[in-house]
Amino acid sequence: MIWNKKIECMSRDEMHALQSEKLKKIVAHAYNNSPFYKKRFDEHGVRPEDIHSIDDIVKLPFTVKQDLRDNYPFGMMCVPMTQILRLHASSGTTGKPIVVGYVQKDLDNWSEAVARCLTAYGLGSDDLVQIAYGYGLFTGGLGAHDGVTRIGGTVIPTSSGNTQKQLQLMQDFGATAVACTPSYALYMAEEIRKQGLDINNFKLKVGIFGAEPWTNAMRKELEDKLHIKAYDIYGLTEISGPGVGGECECQNGTHLWEDLYYPEIIDPVTLQPVEHGQKGELVFTTLDKWGMPMIRYRTRDLTYLNYDKCDCGRTAVRMGKILGRSDDMMIIRGVNVFPSQIESILLEFPEYEPYFLIEVDRVNNTDTFDIQVEVKPEFYTDQINELVRLRQRLTSRIQSVVGIQPAIKIVQPGTIERSTGKAKRAIDHRKFE
Amino acid sequence: MLIRQISVFLENEKGKFAEIARLLGNNNINMKAFTVSETQDFGIARIIVEREQIERAFNLIKANSYAVTMTHVVYLECAHKPGAMAEAMEKLAAAGISVEYMYAFADSSSEFSHVIIRPDNTELANQIISEL
Ligand SMILES: [Zn+2]
Repeated sequence: MIWNKKIECMSRDEMHALQSEKLKKIVAHAYNNSPFYKKRFDEHGVRPEDIHSIDDIVKLPFTVKQDLRDNYPFGMMCVPMTQILRLHASSGTTGKPIVVGYVQKDLDNWSEAVARCLTAYGLGSDDLVQIAYGYGLFTGGLGAHDGVTRIGGTVIPTSSGNTQKQLQLMQDFGATAVACTPSYALYMAEEIRKQGLDINNFKLKVGIFGAEPWTNAMRKELEDKLHIKAYDIYGLTEISGPGVGGECECQNGTHLWEDLYYPEIIDPVTLQPVEHGQKGELVFTTLDKWGMPMIRYRTRDLTYLNYDKCDCGRTAVRMGKILGRSDDMMIIRGVNVFPSQIESILLEFPEYEPYFLIEVDRVNNTDTFDIQVEVKPEFYTDQINELVRLRQRLTSRIQSVVGIQPAIKIVQPGTIERSTGKAKRAIDHRKFE
Repeated sequence: MLIRQISVFLENEKGKFAEIARLLGNNNINMKAFTVSETQDFGIARIIVEREQIERAFNLIKANSYAVTMTHVVYLECAHKPGAMAEAMEKLAAAGISVEYMYAFADSSSEFSHVIIRPDNTELANQIISEL
């Protein structure tokens, strides 16, 4: 099913015209009502009159997360606070939180976006959706909540935590879908197993997973353990919250609702748009958000876009998996290298642990690109040729994906730091002075 | 005869083999034979210890976070006379067996050289060797 066939299946030409009209209006609104945007545009030498179509978006300056921090709490609002109906905030790990504000139209568009996602997952008014995202300043809980209400489904607003109760209600109420982070869903699956519950007594058919990156391996595990179809929901607080995009039944890319949130992919170094289909940093412009519009907001998420019509019938552009963060990028021998690329390649090999350490240095004016990896204990052999072949396969794979040849070093088990997330995955020894 | 051999993955860095030798030495385990093969940045040490000590040696090395495997290899007692080794190898070749690696050691108290062979077909190679 398709929630808004007119928009979701619109021809590229019609979408271009719609986006162009909306961009002109939102740019004028931002310029005329926000001292922040007026100053930024003036410094950049661009005025609303310079924007004639969506293609002119490249004339506009970027907005970054630090701008939201610098204007904490309400400096980015483009309407009087009397019109703001709701505030959300995201704390982040450093510095001040970022705050976003919504007028009625913004809340309507947000729930419209989530409704499109939910319908694409096959959900409708018959469904009972357990929302195990946190309710509160975090956009996850209330964002999903409003979307379920919009499609006429039944909300089970459990919020996050208290897993035992979650599972009991999920079973007793016969929830047909659950919305939470994929890692929490895995935890719930584990609890179901530990408590000796029978998954056949649950009525779940759909998982709505987002708020953190996840892999296809996790998807398979979740689908097998919970007897569901697991779908991605993408979003970020700055742009509105969950529902900026979602997968369809094809599970082949995340459709972005580009009449509301216009996506671009730029090279994070040159800041120029990349060729269609190339990977780079995702940038959003909110085309229909009035309380706090975001003009060319740099997400730091790395991905690529596919404008081919999807088998589901939608023409809405599809985004690939998030490949990593542009903050982590290194330039080695002139090529952009992301640690997350190495991680996803290692995940393709059952023989390797998913841990690694990249070391970059410059010797005789050439960059060295060394990667330490560990072979899983059960894949060690006493035959040196097999290890050499295994190393060669990884070397070739990395070379074909990244574009330059690494020197792979197999190290002893347990050598590489384990704590994921904060672990130092790359060290750059080069000195540029 | 089939015997068990311990293989330890070693990074090609100074003192790595010494760590293993010291570990075994401190635990009163004697290496009867060993060989190290290496590439530019890693190597594999293959070690033979007394049969009754092999489990302990294996667990000890493993507990110290080394990658260690235990494999069966063919043990050949080769007489100290010209052509003895040639005969054994010809028989293996004739049976289509290829040898991944081999090494030998002698001890003065014995009339034989001791040869360790890692063939691609361990069972067949062992059968041929035992019929020599
Ligand atoms: Zn689709």
